[in-house]
Amino acid sequence: MSLLEIKDLSVEFSARENTVKAVSHVFFKVREGETLGLIGESGSGKSVIGLALLRLLPANANVSGTVLFQGQDLFSLRPSELRKIRGKRISLMPQNPAGALNPVLKNRLQIEEVFEERGIDKKEGMKKSLRLMKKLLLRDPEKLCDLYPHQLSGGMRQRLIACMSLSFEPELMIADEPTKGLDPEAKEGAVELFTKIKNDYGKTMLLITHDLDLALEVCDRIAVMYAGEIVELDKASKVLNAPSHPYTKGLVRAQPRNGLVPLSGQSPSRISLPEGCFFHERCRYSNIECFRKHPEMKNHNGGWIRCHFQSLQ
Amino acid sequence: MSLPILAVNELAMSFGTLEVFRSVSFSVARGETLGLFGKSGSGKTTIGKCIVGLERPTGGEIRVQGANILNMGKKEFRKLRPKIQIIFQHPETSLDPRMKAFENLIEPLKLHSGLKQDALLKWGEELAELTGLRPEHLARYPIQLSGGEIQRIVLARIMALSPDFIVADEPTSMLDVSVQAQILRLMQKLQRETGVSYLLISHDLEVLRKVCHRIAYLDNGTITSIENIKRDVKR
Amino acid sequence: MDNVFTNRLRKKNFSLPEAYGSQFVKRVFQRKDMLFALAALLLFAGLSIFAPLLSPYDPNAIDLKNKNLNPSEEHLLGTDYLGRDLLSRILIGARTSLSIASGVVLISLFLGTATGCAAGYYGGFVDESISRVTDIFLSFPSVIFALTIMGALGAGVFNLMLALSIVHWAKYARMMRGQVLSIKKQEFVLSAITGGAGDFYIIRKHIVPNAIATLFVLATIDFGHVILSIATLSFLGIGLPADVPEWGAMLSAGKEFMRTAPYQTIFPGLAITFIVIIFSILGDGMRDILDPNHEGGEID
Repeated sequence: MSLLEIKDLSVEFSARENTVKAVSHVFFKVREGETLGLIGESGSGKSVIGLALLRLLPANANVSGTVLFQGQDLFSLRPSELRKIRGKRISLMPQNPAGALNPVLKNRLQIEEVFEERGIDKKEGMKKSLRLMKKLLLRDPEKLCDLYPHQLSGGMRQRLIACMSLSFEPELMIADEPTKGLDPEAKEGAVELFTKIKNDYGKTMLLITHDLDLALEVCDRIAVMYAGEIVELDKASKVLNAPSHPYTKGLVRAQPRNGLVPLSGQSPSRISLPEGCFFHERCRYSNIECFRKHPEMKNHNGGWIRCHFQSLQ
Repeated sequence: MSLPILAVNELAMSFGTLEVFRSVSFSVARGETLGLFGKSGSGKTTIGKCIVGLERPTGGEIRVQGANILNMGKKEFRKLRPKIQIIFQHPETSLDPRMKAFENLIEPLKLHSGLKQDALLKWGEELAELTGLRPEHLARYPIQLSGGEIQRIVLARIMALSPDFIVADEPTSMLDVSVQAQILRLMQKLQRETGVSYLLISHDLEVLRKVCHRIAYLDNGTITSIENIKRDVKR
Repeated sequence: MDNVFTNRLRKKNFSLPEAYGSQFVKRVFQRKDMLFALAALLLFAGLSIFAPLLSPYDPNAIDLKNKNLNPSEEHLLGTDYLGRDLLSRILIGARTSLSIASGVVLISLFLGTATGCAAGYYGGFVDESISRVTDIFLSFPSVIFALTIMGALGAGVFNLMLALSIVHWAKYARMMRGQVLSIKKQEFVLSAITGGAGDFYIIRKHIVPNAIATLFVLATIDFGHVILSIATLSFLGIGLPADVPEWGAMLSAGKEFMRTAPYQTIFPGLAITFIVIIFSILGDGMRDILDPNHEGGEID
């Protein structure tokens, strides 16, 4: 059974005279207990999806499509109903752990504040949080609570935020670029953290990231985004170890250990997208059909792929 | 045997009683890329800033083609300065947000060449082409550019001074994998074409292994070892 | 504009305001409150510039036969205790207030920018000395400080401008210093240094243009404060010579006739209130527009 189902989600931003197509016609499902990874370069629209499904986008965003959370359409909920879901049943782990904590408050107050806002008994909440913190690889949580956020390392802050998001026992956790800008040690820590959240708590997660290593370690399935579309969706190991879409192939090859081979060119302008396949200008396999016709998502070896090349084989 | 482009001898830095690093020594030959690996907070950025003269170390010497920049007169150093350049980690603050990309790009040229607007325009466009930028990028403000595009502009801006040595302080750690590959390959291309040397500072060993000729390991405030990476010189 | 959205997100960690040039103007036009305030300000400015042409009477012409009149067709806003036409005096008064306030704000802005810039950029001894001086200036309650200076200098337009500038400049210096401190550490300034730029070039090309927007916000909000200070000092009788039409002085003179001829206090009071509100709306709006964190909102 799928916990979250996204159907034909499109997001456009109107900026001056232009319309920027951030996300176009995205479909995917997140099953109960599953971790789905959304990967893609910055500007590919992956973060926009996360914000769109919690209706957190700025007012100049034009959103269409359906988002079903346990069969409930999130886009048609009244704001008061949405608030019951947002933060409680779906929690968002923000991108920048440093910015998500108030620098002038001690950590304990930050955690308590969350309970206060939700009308949960503070002491009970705190106890639960401390237990969580111990489990999530934070040593000496009591002492940690008496420190200020800047006294924690990036990795520690991230764990603290993970605890805060988990303390409501949300059914779905969305993590937005949890490893961006972290050093390799903290990145390894993040892999450990998310594996633990997944295995020990069986949380359903939507992991938005461009850290291919993290995605491979933690995710069950991965959707690859390019220019606002999903171009490949399959089991994580299949997508990253034996990619089918030329773009995914390019991404994997760009990793230092796979040769640091750059993809030529740049992502297309989102104001005027190219005719045909959005990737054809950078694709080494592209042929005439790729210039003419925009490819549809097709079933391919049990996964989904948006490419003419596969269908031609 | 010619002198190394850069030789750092027994460099030391402390802020008050806090020692950042001590007896740091290494040298970089023409056309070579030396990697500097260290964890965050190990002082590797400070070493880079000392080399380009943005910080003054508390001890040691920095020799550029034999001359110690630390006991140079102001005038002498000013002449040398264009030859040692730096590229920073954070693209979002690397360009003046109130100047268009093009103005940012030609700023050092303007300061040094005394050329007229037309000549600057032409030179700027050549540099942009060298670094794989399209003309339309140059008309934009930094906020409208991606991280990769900004790092290209920074490289173009630096190359305008035809430097001998560039300190690259985590130039790709804020970029996506595919863009990282583009920028690092671009840096290699510029090295092949101009013979510039790099000190590539990074906390990503995989990246360093891929692009450096040698890697210096900074640990506990000093260089613990320098590793030779056997790479075929042609690539 | 491939990634408007990532830029939007990135801006959140961005300390520099991004709105400038056409963008700024456009955003001003999107805000009804600012448009209204701007229109009102232009109206005020226009009235004060053309005051001598517009005012129906000589603002200083005493007409004891017609003193303390209520508004009528002949005297639209009535007359004061010496029979001077209130409308004419308020119009000329706008001129006095606006011009003195502009002078004060410009002088403070200039002085504050220069000293704050020097303190922030050069640091060390320069910073220590300038910062101590600004601290001293900021430690006095402003009205009492201004009163003391006026007491020493005597009443007069120039003296009032001087006194208020002395009171106000330190705020600008302190804010400018803070701005400079954060800007000079940014990579683009460091690159300019390694690119061979001199101090003066860096200050002129990079530091001031990036810091000035915040100072303009302060100046706009401060404009209202200065107008209030002028009125306060005149109300207390030590701002301007008695014959200069000024709103604060008019209030002061009118307060004795509050029961019998309330218009003498109501109209100058309203004028002060209006102009202060206009500037506070403008200042708030500018802060919102220039503050990158103040954008967008939820779609609920």
